[in-house]
Amino acid sequence: MKAVKGKYLFGGVHPKGKKELTASLPIEVMPTPEVVAVSTSQSLGKSAVVAVTVGQKVKEGEVIAKADGAISSDVFASVAGTVTEIKELTGANGDKETFIFIKAEGTDTFRFPALTSPTAEEIKARIKDCGIVGLGGAGFPTAVKVAPKTPVDILCVNGAECEPYLTCDHRLMVEKTDEIVRGARLIATALGVKDIAIGIEKNKPDAIAAFEPYEDIKVIILGKKYPLGGERQLAYAITGRRIPQGKIPAEYGVVVHNVGTCYAVCEAVEQGKPLYEKVLTVSGTAVKEPKNLLVKVGTSVKEIIEYCGGEATNPKKVVQGGPMTGVALANYEHYTHKTTSGILLLSEKEAAADEPTPCLNCGKCADVCPMHLMPMNTAFYSAAGDFDAAQKYGNVLSCIECGACEYICPAKRPLIQAIRKTKAELRKKN
Amino acid sequence: MDNSIVISTPPHVKSKRTTRGIMLDVCIALLPCAIAGIVYFGWLALMLELVAVVACVATEFVYYFIANKGFANKCKDAGKVCLRWWKQFDFTSVVTGLILALILPATTQWYEILIGSIFAIAIVKMLFGGTGKNLVNPAAAGRVFMAISFTAVTTYTAANIGSLSIQTPVFSGATNLSWLLSGEHNPVSGLPVLDLFLGTGVAGCIGETCKLAIIVGYIYLCVRGVIKWWQPLLFIVVFGFAAVFMSGFAFIATGGYIFDMELFLPHLFSGGVLFGAVFMFPDYVTSPKGVYGQILYYIVAGILVAVLRYFTKLEVTSFVIMLMNLFVPLIDKYLIRKPFGYKKVKKVKEKKTPDERVAEAVDALKVDETAAAKPKHGTKTENTEKSPAASVQSVGVDVKSDKEEA
Repeated sequence: MKAVKGKYLFGGVHPKGKKELTASLPIEVMPTPEVVAVSTSQSLGKSAVVAVTVGQKVKEGEVIAKADGAISSDVFASVAGTVTEIKELTGANGDKETFIFIKAEGTDTFRFPALTSPTAEEIKARIKDCGIVGLGGAGFPTAVKVAPKTPVDILCVNGAECEPYLTCDHRLMVEKTDEIVRGARLIATALGVKDIAIGIEKNKPDAIAAFEPYEDIKVIILGKKYPLGGERQLAYAITGRRIPQGKIPAEYGVVVHNVGTCYAVCEAVEQGKPLYEKVLTVSGTAVKEPKNLLVKVGTSVKEIIEYCGGEATNPKKVVQGGPMTGVALANYEHYTHKTTSGILLLSEKEAAADEPTPCLNCGKCADVCPMHLMPMNTAFYSAAGDFDAAQKYGNVLSCIECGACEYICPAKRPLIQAIRKTKAELRKKN
Repeated sequence: MDNSIVISTPPHVKSKRTTRGIMLDVCIALLPCAIAGIVYFGWLALMLELVAVVACVATEFVYYFIANKGFANKCKDAGKVCLRWWKQFDFTSVVTGLILALILPATTQWYEILIGSIFAIAIVKMLFGGTGKNLVNPAAAGRVFMAISFTAVTTYTAANIGSLSIQTPVFSGATNLSWLLSGEHNPVSGLPVLDLFLGTGVAGCIGETCKLAIIVGYIYLCVRGVIKWWQPLLFIVVFGFAAVFMSGFAFIATGGYIFDMELFLPHLFSGGVLFGAVFMFPDYVTSPKGVYGQILYYIVAGILVAVLRYFTKLEVTSFVIMLMNLFVPLIDKYLIRKPFGYKKVKKVKEKKTPDERVAEAVDALKVDETAAAKPKHGTKTENTEKSPAASVQSVGVDVKSDKEEA
C-alpha cells in the first residue's frame, strides 16, 4: 500500500546515523567457523537446559538445550559436529552463562517438515519448536507473543532500525522483502488479525519502496529519530495508542514484531529451519571492511573481526549490539547470540568516553525522554541513596533504557548507570 | 587490540555538545549586546565588561585553588592545579561576568562592579557548590546586591552613538521606563518606538538599550538549540499584556480605565525585560526542568514583573528573576511530567440499584442486631424501625467511605 506518515513522537534524539558505512553492502554469508560456542541463555527469562553430553554428535539445527518454562526458548546446534566441551563462562553483560562448544564436522542438517497452508495452531507450535525469539534486541520468546491473552487487532512490523550504524534489518528488508511479508502474514494468521503495518524510518527509501507493492501491508514512514524503533514508540507512531510501561502492547490490541523475526518465522514454517543464524552488521571506523554478515549463532567475535579484515585502528570501544543500547565488550572472547544485531568497533573519535562534569539542570534529558520521565531527578536522588524519591520524582521504573537522555547530556552524566542502579535497588527492596 | 579498550554502560556514542560549548555559545550570543553597549556608551562600557569578566573568572579560580583540600600542597605544584582548573573550566563565570556588566548602567564605578562580581561568584555561586548548584542566577543576585548597596547604580546615561566619553547629561532615574511607569502618558515626552528598539538616545543599562542586539542574540541561541524559542516569547507576551493591563489603572484618576495596546511595545522595550527574557530567565541552572514547570515559571514571572513594576515604579526584572529562582525547587518537585501512556486511575464507584442498597442495608442491620443483642439505646432501634430509608442512606455512605479509605 502507498506509504503514509506515522504519528509525531515527542522527545527522542537525532544521533549521527553512520549507516552509510554498510547500508549498500549486500548480506554476505560467513563461512562456517571451526568451533562455535552456543550459549544456553538466548532469550529473556530462564536459560535453556543442556540436552547433550560431551562427545555427542549433533546435526546442524538439532536441539542442544531445551526450553525451561514458558518464557524461555530452545537452543540449536548451529553447525554439524561433535560437542567438545560444556562450560560456564562470563557472558557479555557480566552474567555467568553456560556455553556448549561444538567442533564443526560434516554437513548433516536437521529440518522440521515444511508446512504448506498451516493453521494458526500449527504456526504457533512451529514458532515454539524453532526457538524463535524477538530479534529486535530484547529476545522475548516469540511463541509467547503470538499467543496473547487479550484480543489483538493489528500487527506492527518493526523496520525502524533507529540505532546508528546498524543496517542488518535494512538489508534484510531490501533483499528478503517477500520472505518478510510472508512471515508477517503467517504471524498475522497465528494472531488472527487482518491488519499488518510496517514502520520504516524515512532514511531507508529503498526499503519503503520495496514494501509498497504489497496491497495488504500498510507502510508507515517514520521520522528519523531515535528511539522510534522501541516497541511502545513504534506502536504509538503507527496506531496512536499510548502504551504505558508495565503493560504489554497486546493489552492495547497491538503486537509488535521485528522484521528479522518475521523472516525467521517464514523460514521456520516454509523450510522448517530452526533459528540458529542471524544477520548482523559489523561496522565502525576501527574495522577494516564493514560488512553485513549472516553468521551462525555462537561464532566468536574474534573470528568475525578477522573475517572483516581485522582492525583498521585501535578501537576505543567494542560494542555488541547497537551503540545506544548494546553491551561494551572487554575483549574479543565473546560469542554471538540469536539476538546479536551488530559488532561495532568504535574508534577514539566515535566512542564516548568523556569525563562527566557537574549537572547543569538544563532539563535536556527530560525533553528528549520518549517515556516523558525526569532522568535528572533519578540521577540526583539515586546519588544521594534515596531510591524511593528517585522513583517518585523520576518515575525510573517506567524507563526503557533507550539511552537518549545520556546521549544528549551536555555534562556527560552517567544517567543510564544511575537508572539501572536505582532499578536494581528498588527490585531488591520489593 | 590493546588495553586502551573501554567498557561502560550504554550509550556508546554521545552528542558532541558539552557544557563548555553551550556556555561559549551564550558568550557569542552576548557579543552583539556587548558591542552595542561599547558603541553607545564608549570605552567606559568596555572597561566595565572587562573588569566584570576578569573579576568573575579570577574569583572562581581563587575559590577553586583554596577550596580544594591540601592547600599547602597545591601551592607547590600550582602549575598542575592551573591545568586541572582549565580542564574543568566551563565558561559559566565568563557568562556571569558579561551579563552582570551588561545589566548595569555605564555610570557604574569599576570598583563597584568588582565587588559585585566577587559577590556574584564567590557567595552566590561557589559557596552553594559551583556550576549547576547555585540557587539563584549569580548575575541577577550581583545586580540586586549592587542596586541596594551603591546608589550610583540607579543613575543612567543616554546612549549616544559616537560619544566615546561621557559628556552627555546624566539622567538620575529619568529613564524611559520611569516615564512610562509614572502614568503621565504624553506621547510628546515619550520616545518613539524605533528609538527604543535601537536604543539611540535612550537612557539605560549597557546591554539592555539596544533591543536589536538582544534579538540577534536570541536568534543565535535558538538556532544553536541553547534555549527553547518559545520560552522568552511566552514571557514577553504575558508580560506585555500584564503591563498594559496594569498601566491602565493609572488613568482611573483622570477619567476611567483604558486598555491601551499602544503601550505594549514601549513597555517591552523599556528597561531590562527583553534582556532578562533572553539571557537570564532561561538560565539552565535556575529555571525549572520540566515543560509544565517552565510554562508556569514564565507566566508567573511575566505577571510578577508587570505588577511589581507598576507598584514600585522601579526596574524590578533582576529582583523577579531572583524571586522566581527561589520557587524553582518547589515547581520541580510538584510539577512532574506523567510517564508516556500514563492514565490517572479513576476510582470506580460501584453503582447500585436502590433495591440492592435496601437489601444490603437490611443485611447490615441484621448483623448489627445479632452483634449487639441488647441494644443500649432504645431510641436508636426505634428510629431504624420507623424510618428504614434514612438508615439505609447512612449505611450506604458508610460503605462508600470505607472503600475510599481502603
